[in-house]
Amino acid sequence: MPFSPTGYFDPLPRILVADDFDHGMNGWLDLRPNFVAPGFREHSDDIDLIHWGPTMLSSATFAFGGTHGSANGTYSLKISSRAAAAPPDQPPAPGSMGLAIKRLAVPPGVRRLRVEALVAYKVEQDRPGLGVNDLRAFGMFVDLQDGEHRYMPGVRYVNAVEGSPVRRWQYYSPTTATDEEWSYGADGWHKAGIDPQWFGERAADGSTVATTWFDDGEQHLIYNESDDKLNWTPFSLTVDLTRRCYEELRVGGKVLRFPDGAHPTLAPAYDDIQGLLNPVFFVEADTDRRVSLFLDSVLVSAEGELA
Amino acid sequence: MKTFYSSVVELRQEFVTDIETHPYECGWADEAIFFVEVHAPEPGVRLGLRVQLSPDGIRWHDEGTVIDTGTSTFARVTHFGGFLRLAGAAHRPDGTAAPATISVRLALKG
Repeated sequence: MPFSPTGYFDPLPRILVADDFDHGMNGWLDLRPNFVAPGFREHSDDIDLIHWGPTMLSSATFAFGGTHGSANGTYSLKISSRAAAAPPDQPPAPGSMGLAIKRLAVPPGVRRLRVEALVAYKVEQDRPGLGVNDLRAFGMFVDLQDGEHRYMPGVRYVNAVEGSPVRRWQYYSPTTATDEEWSYGADGWHKAGIDPQWFGERAADGSTVATTWFDDGEQHLIYNESDDKLNWTPFSLTVDLTRRCYEELRVGGKVLRFPDGAHPTLAPAYDDIQGLLNPVFFVEADTDRRVSLFLDSVLVSAEGELA
Repeated sequence: MKTFYSSVVELRQEFVTDIETHPYECGWADEAIFFVEVHAPEPGVRLGLRVQLSPDGIRWHDEGTVIDTGTSTFARVTHFGGFLRLAGAAHRPDGTAAPATISVRLALKG
C-alpha cells in the first residue's frame, strides 16, 4: 500500500492501514447485505439494502472543469448514491445512499482507534445551478465488536434536509427502541442500534432515534461555488475501545468535542464477528439526484501495545 | 500487478421501461467486460443493450457494442475513456416494451 504522507494526517502510533486510492481500491467495496437466504436472497427484507449506488475509483472528471484529480495524484474513492431519496422522516429510499466498507480486525492490545481521511462531497452536475442542498448527509462509522458488545461509533454531517441547509454534525448515540421498532416493524436479524445509518426512526429535522447533535456542531464545510469544484478536507474520528466511547472529531479546521463518556448504542454481540473493525463511509441524497462522497485517502491508526 | 475490480453495478434491479445502468467511472482501466444476467425472464423477452461511453458521466454516446440476450451474456470493451454504462430496453416478440430485472457486473482491469 504505497502512501503519500501529507501534513493533513495525525495518526496514532500504530498504522493499521494507509490507503491511497491512486493504488487501487485497497479493499474498499460496496456495503451489501448477507446473501444467505434461499436463492441467494438477502438476509432480511425490512428495507431495500441491495440497490445502494456503486463505489468506484474516480478521477473527479467534470464537463466544464475537466479532471480535478485527487489531493495527491489522480484517483480517489467515489461513493455514489442513485437518483432517489425519501422524505427525511421516512426510511431511506432504495438507492438513496452509497456506502463503502473495508473489513479488518482489531489487533491485540489496541486501546484507541483513529480513522482519518481527506474527503470531498458533490452533487452530480446534471442541471444548471448549484446543487449543494440536494445532498442530505455524509458520514463515517466503525463497526466494532468485542467480547460483550457490538457497537458502531460514528458521525454524520447533515448538510441539507428537504432542500434547506442544516450544516450540522451529529453522532450516533444510544437508542431505547426495541429491535422491532429499530427495523421499522420487522423483528428479524437486526439488534437495536446496529446499522444506524439506515435503521431507527427518522425525524423531519434530519435526526434519528440514535443520533445526538453536537452542541457546537454547526460547520460550513467547503462545498465550493459550483458542482464541479471540490476541496479536499481533513476528517479524523478517534474512539476509545476500552470505554467504548468517543474521544474527538476533527473536520477541516474545527475540533468537535463529545460529552464525556458519550458512546453509541451497545448492542449484544453477534455470532462470528468478534473483533471486527470495519470502517464505513457513506453519502445520502436529499432529492432525485445522484450525490457522491470522494475519499482521496484513508488512514486507520491505533494506540496500545501487548501487555 | 495490474489493478482489478469487479463492481456489481446493478443487482436484481427492475427496469420498467428504459434501461440505463449507473454511470461508472473507470478511466484507470484498460479493458472492461459487462456481464449481464436477466432474472426470471418472461418467455420470449429479449434484452437489447448498447454500450455507451461519456466524457463526464452525463452526456452519452453509443460505443458500438450491442448486447442481445434473453438470459445472460457478456460484452468486452476497450478504449473507452472515463465512463461506461449500458442503455437500452427489453422487448417482447411483438415489439412491445417489457419490464426486466437484471444484474450487471462490470469487470475492470488496468
